[in-house]
Amino acid sequence: MSVSVTATRRTSGAATALSIVALTEIGSAAFLRQFLLAEDWRVVVGLLGFFAIVLVALQRLPTVEARIEGAFSAQGRFATLLGIAIVLLFPFLLEKSTYALHLLIIAQLYAVLALALNFQLGSANIPNFATGASYGIGAYASALLALNWDVSFWLALPAAAVVATIFGFVLGVPSMRTRDSYLALVTIAFGVVVHQLLNNLEFTGGPNGLVGIPAPELFGHSFASPLVIFGHSLPSQANFYYLSAALVGVSILFAARLHHSRIGLAWNALRADELAARCQGINATWYKVLAFVVDAFLAGFAGTIYAFYVGFISPDNFTFLVSVTIMTMVIAGGMDNTLGVIVGAFLLTMLPEKLRAFSDYRILFFGVTVIAFLMIRPQGIFPQRLRRYGG
Amino acid sequence: MSAPVILEGSGLTMRFGGLVAMAEVDFTLRKGEILGIIGPNGAGKSTLLNIITGIYVPSSGEVRLSGERLNGQPAHRIVGKGIARTFQSSRLFGDLSVLDNVIIGRHTHMKTGIFDAILRRSKAEAELAEAADIAERLLKAVSRGLYEQRHRPAAELPQADRRRLEIARALASEPKVLLLDEPSSGMDDADTDALMDDIRALCAERPELAMMIIEHDMRLVASLPHRVLVLDYGQKLAEGSYEEVRLIPRVQEAYLGRKATQNAQA
Repeated sequence: MSVSVTATRRTSGAATALSIVALTEIGSAAFLRQFLLAEDWRVVVGLLGFFAIVLVALQRLPTVEARIEGAFSAQGRFATLLGIAIVLLFPFLLEKSTYALHLLIIAQLYAVLALALNFQLGSANIPNFATGASYGIGAYASALLALNWDVSFWLALPAAAVVATIFGFVLGVPSMRTRDSYLALVTIAFGVVVHQLLNNLEFTGGPNGLVGIPAPELFGHSFASPLVIFGHSLPSQANFYYLSAALVGVSILFAARLHHSRIGLAWNALRADELAARCQGINATWYKVLAFVVDAFLAGFAGTIYAFYVGFISPDNFTFLVSVTIMTMVIAGGMDNTLGVIVGAFLLTMLPEKLRAFSDYRILFFGVTVIAFLMIRPQGIFPQRLRRYGG
Repeated sequence: MSAPVILEGSGLTMRFGGLVAMAEVDFTLRKGEILGIIGPNGAGKSTLLNIITGIYVPSSGEVRLSGERLNGQPAHRIVGKGIARTFQSSRLFGDLSVLDNVIIGRHTHMKTGIFDAILRRSKAEAELAEAADIAERLLKAVSRGLYEQRHRPAAELPQADRRRLEIARALASEPKVLLLDEPSSGMDDADTDALMDDIRALCAERPELAMMIIEHDMRLVASLPHRVLVLDYGQKLAEGSYEEVRLIPRVQEAYLGRKATQNAQA
């Protein structure tokens, strides 16, 4: 008797958890869709207001937040599968808007960059202002391979990541001689040097950049042509949408696995107290260089996809300001919180685009965002969570 | 005490520019022994700990652990050899959970590298789960109350529990030598008593573990250490049992000042 009661309770508990997960994910997707398709700035502001109200409400009602979190951790597999399904179906719901798809691609690439930087800024508290440079190195490396040696996109992708990783290592090693603000200065200098080199070297095309990067092909399907799935035709951007979504998936996987391992713990220890961390046997130099390397590796991937997506790159795509933008995303979204960083990247990519009237003040907007967050909510939209261990 | 010597320092000298923080200090520490280190502020007690743990490289002299020369090796490697420490002002990883703090203490016993973490998830997870298991057992052994709070951020702990957690974190590396830097600082008498009980329990449980304790609280110094080393102005003033050492006039001078000592003797 009591056994069956517990069993029923358990099933009803699971059902509630499933519906909470489904509602949250579908609701968020619907919200994103409305936001992407909204044209009137008043609608955009209204949606933002709604978003803010939901966030504040969640903060005020920690039990509700804990309930949602509990549901997601109880039904992790379902949450992941539904999330993947939503990502796959999403382009079909955008009324063939190429602009919405374009925004999504850029937002996803920035999400990858922000996740990459999060390993340093979020996990290990290393202020790296050179993520934009690694992004550029990835883009240029793959574009040069494709243009000069006809290397296909699929080979250029890992090759560019390797090149960017080497540069990350080259940057990481001398940076270890400095710390805090001086470390930030070294990375800024590195970013400027990379930008200047791209601007002045002959084989990178100088300020004109590289033109005519061919679209990738997969099994004879060119990424420049519309994507037809089950009779539905999607704009050609959909190809890159799926590609960048896959990269976001890989980055999330990286983030989750590294966070929940000895390496993530070592980074967090370094963030909290470097001397105490060294006295626990953590090789501070090695783990910091590792953070640089992982950051550059993922940024290199993002750079390649960007280069092949737009087909034209120039040094001005990879300035210091790009690095600052990425940093803003991490700070606003929430340091060391994967979901937060992704939300930060989406929000800060789409907002300036959606509020066109302000687009001239983009940099001002980022500056104000950083200051506002550091003053009002330094932990970001979604603060970091404590680790959980099974059982 | 005839147990074999585990840690040994000879002729340790530390100069910072023109300042001599430590001059020609020798010490030995045997297995299972507790060595108390006392001396006024600025006597070089923490300097000695920093030299042993590899934070400072001594200007001359050497530190040997079971005969192996340690100085010159980086701090993170010395932990792996079997020397763990706590800090005077507790230096926990405040924004991580109590349990995470202890797991990080097991860093040298874990092997997961970057490729394992990303590509061989089950292996990395198994290793972390094992470390979490050991850490939980360790917390339970150190203090039941601390174990109950294992999922709270370390920064939220009260002072006495922070010191316990530091000790648990240091023990997680399975050290042969444990260095405690003023474990009772900032504690009231009741907390200090509890701390002394903890340390006694620890010694009973790990008879091989050698300890060095820097302390100002004379109640603790009187009862716990087998031997006491007195430092003043970076030099060794005296060494011996607490009862012997406290009668030496120069030690009294260092603590109380010359006048007071003369008055006390008069």
